[in-house]
Amino acid sequence: MASVFGSTLKRREDPRLITGNGQYSEDIQLPGMLYASVLRSPHAHARIVNINTDAAKALEGVVAVYTGKDLEGKIGTVPTAWLPPDSNIQTPPHEVLAVNKVRYVGDGVALVVAENRYVARDAVDLIQVTYAPLPAVAEQEQAIADGAPILHDGVENNVAFHWQAGNATDDVFENAEVIVKQRFRQQRLIPNPMEPRAATAQYNPATGEMTLWATSQNPHIHRFLLSGILGIPENKLRIVSVDVGGGFGAKIACYPDEAMVAYAARDLKRPVKWVEDRRENFLVTSHGRDMVLDVEFAGTKDGDFTAIRVKNIANMGAYLSTAGPGVPTILFGLIVPGAYKIPYAAVDVYGVFTNTTPTDAYRGAGRPEATYLLERMVDLFAAEIGKDPVEVRRRNLIQSHEFPYNTAMGLEYDSGNYEVALDKALAMVGYEELRQKQQELRSQGRHLGIGVTTYVEICGLGPSQVAGAVGFQGGLWESATVRVHPTGKVTVFTGASPHGQGEETTFAQIVSQRLGVPFEDIEVVHGDTNRIAMGWGTYGSRTTPVGGNAIAVAVDKVLEKAKKIAAHMLEVSEEDVRFEDGKYSVEGAPTRSVTIQEVTLQAYLAWNLPQGVEPALEGTAFYDPVNFVYPFGTHICVVEVDEETGDIDLVKYVAVDDCGRVINPMVAEGQVHGGIVQGIGQALWEGAVYDEQAQLLTGTFMDYAMPKARFFKEFETAFTETPAPQNPLGVKGIGETGTIASTPTVVNAVMDALRPFGVKDINMPLTPERVWNAIEKGRQEA
Amino acid sequence: MKITFQHTYNAPREQVWTLLQDEDTLVRTLPGCKRLHLVRDGLYETELGLDVGPIKGLFEGHVEMCEQEEPTRYRLKLSGRGKPGELTADSWVFLEDKDGKTVVTCDADAQVSGLLASVGQRVTGSVARMLLGRFFKNVEAELRRSAS
Repeated sequence: MASVFGSTLKRREDPRLITGNGQYSEDIQLPGMLYASVLRSPHAHARIVNINTDAAKALEGVVAVYTGKDLEGKIGTVPTAWLPPDSNIQTPPHEVLAVNKVRYVGDGVALVVAENRYVARDAVDLIQVTYAPLPAVAEQEQAIADGAPILHDGVENNVAFHWQAGNATDDVFENAEVIVKQRFRQQRLIPNPMEPRAATAQYNPATGEMTLWATSQNPHIHRFLLSGILGIPENKLRIVSVDVGGGFGAKIACYPDEAMVAYAARDLKRPVKWVEDRRENFLVTSHGRDMVLDVEFAGTKDGDFTAIRVKNIANMGAYLSTAGPGVPTILFGLIVPGAYKIPYAAVDVYGVFTNTTPTDAYRGAGRPEATYLLERMVDLFAAEIGKDPVEVRRRNLIQSHEFPYNTAMGLEYDSGNYEVALDKALAMVGYEELRQKQQELRSQGRHLGIGVTTYVEICGLGPSQVAGAVGFQGGLWESATVRVHPTGKVTVFTGASPHGQGEETTFAQIVSQRLGVPFEDIEVVHGDTNRIAMGWGTYGSRTTPVGGNAIAVAVDKVLEKAKKIAAHMLEVSEEDVRFEDGKYSVEGAPTRSVTIQEVTLQAYLAWNLPQGVEPALEGTAFYDPVNFVYPFGTHICVVEVDEETGDIDLVKYVAVDDCGRVINPMVAEGQVHGGIVQGIGQALWEGAVYDEQAQLLTGTFMDYAMPKARFFKEFETAFTETPAPQNPLGVKGIGETGTIASTPTVVNAVMDALRPFGVKDINMPLTPERVWNAIEKGRQEA
Repeated sequence: MKITFQHTYNAPREQVWTLLQDEDTLVRTLPGCKRLHLVRDGLYETELGLDVGPIKGLFEGHVEMCEQEEPTRYRLKLSGRGKPGELTADSWVFLEDKDGKTVVTCDADAQVSGLLASVGQRVTGSVARMLLGRFFKNVEAELRRSAS
């Protein structure tokens, strides 16, 4: 049988998704269903003086109107689920509807439930709220300054937490031959999944069971948290998320809206649906990034890196989102040394409350920010000592024979072959010729730039023991059940909750290869807490390295039992049976064999099973990885900058990634493409902007620049395969590598192009205006 | 958001001043003014029906004229609330005599919130300028009317 694992099969989820047959939360239609709409604060910071809902309640078709006061004591607050240790973290209550005070534009003030969505929306406009506006602050450095408006009583200087890690003392820097310092601004990004959030709740008063169809990357975590907010025990609460139109981190968090919808469904004993509109999505679904980073980087004149030290002031928004505090701390800080041998590294992180939308994970979550500053510093350092940035990188990369490698941040990198990926990317792009061409073009007044990133990322979250140690309020193992039915068809139940990544295809490939049954006979079930025992969801590029390996272990349990039955059927001892391509045969007598399907049927009939073997055939695994996985690679970008207009032309983009063994090259490449697009989006176009009163100015697609397909040329991608040594499948994650590597790659390329003008850094996004101004400034200073 | 607007009237300063301070003139000249009700000296309750780009619908709020230094300058405050959000403006209006003509300059600092900010901010400045323009042109029409 040809190998299924590693082959390019078309995504089996696509036909339904591209023919309008997907089942999204919005598609749920229930008899007697009501519709909800939320009144949101137009003020970034204000006291609620009075709310008058009379006119809204009087509107025909309105069934109920709830305010924060109406819900007080009847529903819990929205918790934070990541509490970094030793950080003095402050978790002021996040009410589902503001009671006395609103803290950002979009903060929920009232919920209307009506017979249809139009009436619900109209009724929202009839609610009269008297606000007493308070001074507001949107920017984190302003928020920690003395005299800044305080968001939460008792939280001094708006500091939500202060977390430190690593060790890089002053004397290391004082004694360094070369020091480079730079400030970077990681601008705030708005994730913008194609599908906004949605929730439909149905309560069964007879049984007390609540079903909530909701847009979730992690239904079991949502069950866990919503159970507490709503006071409904887990065994009576079902969360379903079958098709989800992208999340990028924004559907990890537990939001007030889903909780309120469920509350109303129970209160009114009728199903209630709420669908976020695009404007609400911009305003209230979690944002990403938003960090101010001060970096000190030390090394020798010869080009050895010796130390890196980072101060990170992170904007957490008005409340601490579910995983928010983990992003600028653990996920950011631990990977700061990157792919290099840096003896000393330290991070100092402040999480700050501001009158803005809460921030949480956004594709890469902490790792793009860390990789950005490191890869930018490496280029600045190389320029400082007058060496080629590739040469400097090569000199400091961890060598393949040095794995497992212990970093200054206390991580143990599992494996790597960094130079192989680097050399492959250099060959693909034709690096030496490009440098010559750059010289030639410069003499003609044209500005070509070449940017390189040699990254490593930490993903496959992760060993549960480590999760606990770093303050994540959950486990990070994954569950899988592989059920072989009497006819040999297979259902795979996974606790990972894919939402567009293609695991219905790749997980079936894992099972097909390992169990020897046809790909077409395998069904993958996900996203339903009543069908799947437990799961921790999809984020942190964990679905394949953790969820996929859980499936592999579950298949092995099936095979172990099937082998006993096969040996019994073949009347030989287990040691004499070998398994290959779905067939058990007698060692030395290959014609004497039984197929896995024949064994399965006997397992179910149970007429003649070996002693001590139970009927039926299924395996369940709860797989907890022993380590994270560390994908790596090299991305190279070539740009040309027009000095007259500041416009950037993306000439070429090469990505060589190593995610261990590749299950489906097309699916993996798709992940790389999407990641690159999002990463370049940050580098060149995207950015949320608040005004002085903390009003969001970029609240539509007219004002927030989302990358479009026509912005890009073809990407040239390739994989190197260094099998992950610490998991059965040898796989690593691929979902976030593109966003991690591409942002610094493109910015490095633009800065390389601008070297003749003496430009060292420009804040992202690198809009033509900013580039042009930097060129002009450089010219004046020259 | 800072907005500056200037208009020159072919009339003496005192006449322009009187007109700008007159309640009946204000009702006729404030764009979309449906109601103007004196609350106390210089402070009026008002309803403006506006329909310019994103600034659409009925706005309820206040107009206040204070700190008058006849005939050179006065302060004009405006606050309004409507479906698309809230707007406030604090401005100084200067009257300058120039060869018998009067140059009126309005320096305003305006703030918008809610939908007006997230959707309309890019055009709010131009819309505000346009509304101010209408106001000053309406005042000019009043001048001509009183002259005839």
